[in-house]
Amino acid sequence: MDRTLKALSLVLSYPTQDLKAATQEIEDILDLDRRLSGTTRKSLRQLVQELRSRDIYELEEQYVGLFDRSRTLSLNLFEHVHGESRDRGGAMVSLLETYRAGGFDLATTELPDHLPVVLEFLAMRPPLEAQEVLTDAGHILEALSIRHSRRKSPYCGVFAALLELSGTKADRAAVTELLGQPEIDPDNLEALDEIWEESEVRFGPDPGSGCPQARDILARIDEPVRPASGATTH
Amino acid sequence: MSHLLDRMNFLQPKELEQFSDGHGQVTRESRDWEDVYRNRWRHDKVVRSTHGVNCTGSCSWKIYVKSGIVTWETQHTDYPRTRPDLPNHEPRGCARGASYSWYLYSANRVKHPLVRGRLMKAWRELRATMTPVEAWTRMQSDPELRSSYVATRGKGGFVRASWDEATELIAAANACTVKTYGPDRVFGFSPIPAMSMISYAAGSRYLSLIGGVCMSFYDWYCDLPPASPMTWGEQTDVPESADWYNAAYLILWGSNVPQTRTPDAHFYTEARYRGAKSAVICPDYSEAAKFGDVWLNVKQGTDAALAMAFGHVILREFHLDRQAEYFEDYCRKYSDFPMLVRLDERDGKLVPGRFLRAADLDGALGEDNNPEWKTVAIDESSGSLVSPNGSIGYRWGEQGEWNLEERASGSDVSLMMSLILDECHDEVAGVDFPYFGADASPAFSTGDDRPSVLTRNVPIRRIKTAEGETAVATVFDLFCANYGLDRGLGGDWVSDSYDKDVPGTPAWAERITGVSADKIVHVAREFAYSAEKTRGKSMIIIGAAMNHWYHMDMNYRGVINMLVMCGCVGQSGGGWAHYVGQEKLRPQTGWLPLAFALDWARPPRHMNSTSAWYAHTDQWRYETLTTDEILSPTAPEGDWDISMIDYNIRAERMGWLPSAPQLRTNPLAVAKSAKEAGKEIPGYVAEKLKSGKLSMSCEDPDAPENWPRNLFVWRSNLLGSSGKGHEYFLKHLLGTDHGVLGRDLGEEGRERPKEAKWHEEAPRGKLDLLVCIDFRMSTTAVYSDVVLPTASWYEKNDLNTSDMHPFIHPLQAAVDPAYESKSDWEIFKAIACKFQEVAPELLGVETDIVALPILHDTPAEIAQDQVRDWKKGECDLIPGKTAPNFVTVERDYTAIGDRFCALGPLMDKIGNGGKGISWETGQEVQHLRELNGVWEDGPAKGCPKIITDIDASEVVLMLAPESNGEVAVKAWEALSKTTGRELEHLARPKEDEKIRFHDIAAQPRKIISSPTWSGLESENVCYNAGYTNVHELIPWRTLTGRQQLYQDHLWMRAFGEGLMSYRPPVDLKSITKEINLDARDGSPHVVLNFITPHQKWGIHSTYSDNLLMLTLNRGGPVIWISENDATEAGIVDNDWVELYNSNGALTARAVVSQRIKDGTTFMYHAQEKIVNTPGSERTGKRGGIHNSVTRAVLKPTHMIGGYAQQSYGFNYYGTVGSNRDEFVIVRKMRKVDWLDGEAKTKEAAE
Repeated sequence: MDRTLKALSLVLSYPTQDLKAATQEIEDILDLDRRLSGTTRKSLRQLVQELRSRDIYELEEQYVGLFDRSRTLSLNLFEHVHGESRDRGGAMVSLLETYRAGGFDLATTELPDHLPVVLEFLAMRPPLEAQEVLTDAGHILEALSIRHSRRKSPYCGVFAALLELSGTKADRAAVTELLGQPEIDPDNLEALDEIWEESEVRFGPDPGSGCPQARDILARIDEPVRPASGATTH
Repeated sequence: MSHLLDRMNFLQPKELEQFSDGHGQVTRESRDWEDVYRNRWRHDKVVRSTHGVNCTGSCSWKIYVKSGIVTWETQHTDYPRTRPDLPNHEPRGCARGASYSWYLYSANRVKHPLVRGRLMKAWRELRATMTPVEAWTRMQSDPELRSSYVATRGKGGFVRASWDEATELIAAANACTVKTYGPDRVFGFSPIPAMSMISYAAGSRYLSLIGGVCMSFYDWYCDLPPASPMTWGEQTDVPESADWYNAAYLILWGSNVPQTRTPDAHFYTEARYRGAKSAVICPDYSEAAKFGDVWLNVKQGTDAALAMAFGHVILREFHLDRQAEYFEDYCRKYSDFPMLVRLDERDGKLVPGRFLRAADLDGALGEDNNPEWKTVAIDESSGSLVSPNGSIGYRWGEQGEWNLEERASGSDVSLMMSLILDECHDEVAGVDFPYFGADASPAFSTGDDRPSVLTRNVPIRRIKTAEGETAVATVFDLFCANYGLDRGLGGDWVSDSYDKDVPGTPAWAERITGVSADKIVHVAREFAYSAEKTRGKSMIIIGAAMNHWYHMDMNYRGVINMLVMCGCVGQSGGGWAHYVGQEKLRPQTGWLPLAFALDWARPPRHMNSTSAWYAHTDQWRYETLTTDEILSPTAPEGDWDISMIDYNIRAERMGWLPSAPQLRTNPLAVAKSAKEAGKEIPGYVAEKLKSGKLSMSCEDPDAPENWPRNLFVWRSNLLGSSGKGHEYFLKHLLGTDHGVLGRDLGEEGRERPKEAKWHEEAPRGKLDLLVCIDFRMSTTAVYSDVVLPTASWYEKNDLNTSDMHPFIHPLQAAVDPAYESKSDWEIFKAIACKFQEVAPELLGVETDIVALPILHDTPAEIAQDQVRDWKKGECDLIPGKTAPNFVTVERDYTAIGDRFCALGPLMDKIGNGGKGISWETGQEVQHLRELNGVWEDGPAKGCPKIITDIDASEVVLMLAPESNGEVAVKAWEALSKTTGRELEHLARPKEDEKIRFHDIAAQPRKIISSPTWSGLESENVCYNAGYTNVHELIPWRTLTGRQQLYQDHLWMRAFGEGLMSYRPPVDLKSITKEINLDARDGSPHVVLNFITPHQKWGIHSTYSDNLLMLTLNRGGPVIWISENDATEAGIVDNDWVELYNSNGALTARAVVSQRIKDGTTFMYHAQEKIVNTPGSERTGKRGGIHNSVTRAVLKPTHMIGGYAQQSYGFNYYGTVGSNRDEFVIVRKMRKVDWLDGEAKTKEAAE
């Protein structure tokens, strides 16, 4: 078993007294893993220490606030790639089948794409396969890592660690797309406006241009399926 | 050392397993070949379900499931056939429903029971050493502890809890509240049971078992049209949408069918292909306007003037200059037109008074039973006064003459509609009618300076009564005068031409409504002409738009008058089609016992929400509308100068409206002292109330003893969607940050209420506990103390019906509830069982006293033919007659869970019924024992089990006439006795039909015709309201037994609404000099009328946080504004704007459109505060929702009770939360602040 992945699955789980009790062990495992950079290990150490020392209710409130209440920080991986599109159901079915093929049944009320579930599964898989899956999810992990560090969330090291474990760099373009799309940068009002701007409807001559709305709709249909752009919580 | 790292948390290894006692074995060989087939279909089962959302659609859907995960849904297409020649129902469904599975796994889903962190921490600490009830009592007695979580409502800070912990906390809070303050301090709000009846019933059953309060919704939403009970004694009985197809002429009036009735809109299209003509009436260029042959863009809020002008034309051309035979015959039989009205002298002038009653005459026309409730008319052939069959006096205390046969005292009669002929009247006299057209506020003023009383000539007869001579006139003659028709009787204020500007004429209406007179004449003529040719096939489809005005009754009665004048009500293809917010619960009488635990104790506690929220959110402390603004200049002498809450207090005291809480003293304690005193309870309570030893809670809503303490909100987004006066909810009921900008009456130094006790300091944070049960983190959820995750619509079993189609069909659990969620049924069952566990420490078998208002459809409804207040010494306090009844109810608080899960003994003992008829139901209970099983022992020994949601569904289906033919026959038999007419034939052919849950799982089933409703579902007709009244001569359940167009109750006359007329919107004065800072600073802004229609991208707030729907709209709150108004305020399309008035502020994007009429702004109801809402510059808090700028205002005429059809019924009659008379200041925002920095306190909507 890859105990690092398992440990990361645990720290991403809802904080409990059991978890607090296990923090020393977790800290030791993470500290010893040379696949992780010094910075990341430091960041993880801080997180684990916070989990150990901070009031459990504060930890729980923080966790609910970050992971249960913020769409853009959701631990359900497919939230970020499929959003609420029809593809999500199918993707979850395939993931479930992957677990079954790997010899496991889901024994939780969490959905299959819940990151701690994925990590627990990967911990039981051959290292190459784990790396491959993490590489596939690299752009999501990187986007989450950036969002967490923007929020100064103590959890940002976990995502950095997962990226390092994947052994590759995330696809820049994909990360940019993810970051560009759903989350609104509250400080950049013009960028915010652009997200919502509709094409101007002009009546009158210029038949060559056609109906701009229809043109836009057709253009959108031509695009590959991707997350519903649009509103987001913040 | 922990084993956490070595243990599996989420996964378990697959093992070689055996099953079926070793006969089967799991093998490891490859089954890849199956994938070919699996992948072809990509699902392994299809389950029928629907979307239990507050929408009349009620569409059946196929849910596709693969490996326990919902993959997508499509519309079902297997509705039972319609008749030949009629289009079928499918497909039903819209874009909103089709996006639902995309919601199921949304990040906004509530995954675990959540409790406010500070509450959880304190609770666990106390629980370590105390029992649950000790812990809750301790927490409430420590003000610091209490405010530590109360003041943080809406500011985040949730932690997860186990189900056991969460339900224990709730049960303990409920038990302590029952013990300390009384069961009527535990409130529950949930709307529209028809969309998921069992889920509604779960909560209301629990509340009813403990004696809690079930709050109404239809009136609070202001979708309840009081005009419907006034006219018909029935609430919103309407044609199914298929019947639109049978119409010859369709008016869509304030109803946007293609946008808001999407699955039904095809019938409208098909009707037009068939040749029906259609007029669309709405201020904006709506989607429906595009369907109209003609579009009348009436000024918002002036519909009554338009209706009056339509009526003027119809009367002129079809009743006066020429008498259309069908219309005359219809009105004589089915309306109150022939009934006589007494004309009272007031300052030497005549004013329409009460209906003449048999009791007014010497000898009472030989009527011994209820002569004061039998109205009188003149028989044409004999010329004498008669008491025609069918008035309400015949309904109670006797049998056989409560019908609409043209008979009186056993002889055939033909009633005289008008005294116009010289030989019919004694004289022509001037009668006073109130005129409100000149009272308009500046935004609605046309410069009208007519007097407030118009005297018009009416043919009258003088008759002898027991008290002396009196003048009388027929309703029809008064009606014509009121519409301003010149009948050659001379006098003023009548017209013989459409072009004269006299109140009632098209020329007059043109000035008010902006619709040209020729269009008015054209539409009125076509409407009536079509109805005459087709015997009533003209229909008016009407939306809540017109009902949301303070004077909504005028709009609605104007419309109803047109339909009755043209004989359209009760005719297939005709009638009044109001489709909003109620959604017919077709198997109602089967559902009631389950929902309100009538099988264990009667009566339940019902409360009208508008009055309750008005009082408990302290909106009354800010009331700006005074009685003199709405009182009629022709009002009879009386003590009218009191405030709206004072009227409500009187209404509660006289037994007209319900109360919650009821008495200031805990009813359990009152019952105890009565017992100790050896007195019977009603007499004891009456005596103590008279002596002032007991007082009613309504008189002092701000006293801590009278606060609601616990509130459950389930299947509802009360705070995010329907909470009129949102900011007042936050300020006073919840006690957290709010955006109220105005000051209360005390701070303003204005006149205070006379009856309601005033506290200088208004309370903040009345609720001890707010529990929200939802599947998504709605605005209500973020403000709650406990949030319980409920199963969504593909995760539970339930029943669903609508008024739009005649089918009953299910919601089904296609998959298990996601995450930790449970169905509403399971949640309340768990709470009930927990209650049983924790309560015995405080409570045992207790006697409770339920204050019961005088209810419609019961013998008590003819309680008060005169208005007398016992507190003012005008009469004695007689419970159930001059005051609420005080009914004793035994509650076993040690068996709440057991009772929840069993059908109690009262169904066997008392039977079942509804709407004034009853039948025994022993056989059905026996069938349920056989179907669901029987409890072998315990407190429910011998009772049928109701363990699962399917068991509960079977109870409803078994007991309801609509789904059990045997019961339908019994119900019709019961009505046959009262009416003296054979009616069983309507159900005999279906006697052997019994619809079960598994039947509707297979296919939606058509309901069986039942006397609960006034329409039939048969091979000959579509469902249409009033059909059995017209075709089977069953009276309407009104005073006259007819469709009643004249309202004679004292308060109706006092407030000038005896007859319909145009009343301009009221001035709510929410924009004052102090509030309008933009006017002070000279910065650009515009003041607009604030309108909240239904949207295209959501069903109320549901779907308004769904990314797909947000993407189709603009992705957050928007308001619509006209180009001219936008220019004036310096706003361009997509600008962030702020809307505010004294009630609060909201922020949104502006959509600038030619579609909108100048002077108005639209904000679609209801866009979530949790999505893209920046901070308000005015309040410094996060911008509010559409209800942040509204405040509910009560109307005294809606409080009337104890008076035939104007008697209370849950969601039937009562005060309504109107909100369209409101104005707002609209300004461009200077800086958009998302308030998402690390704040000192966490923010509501992350």
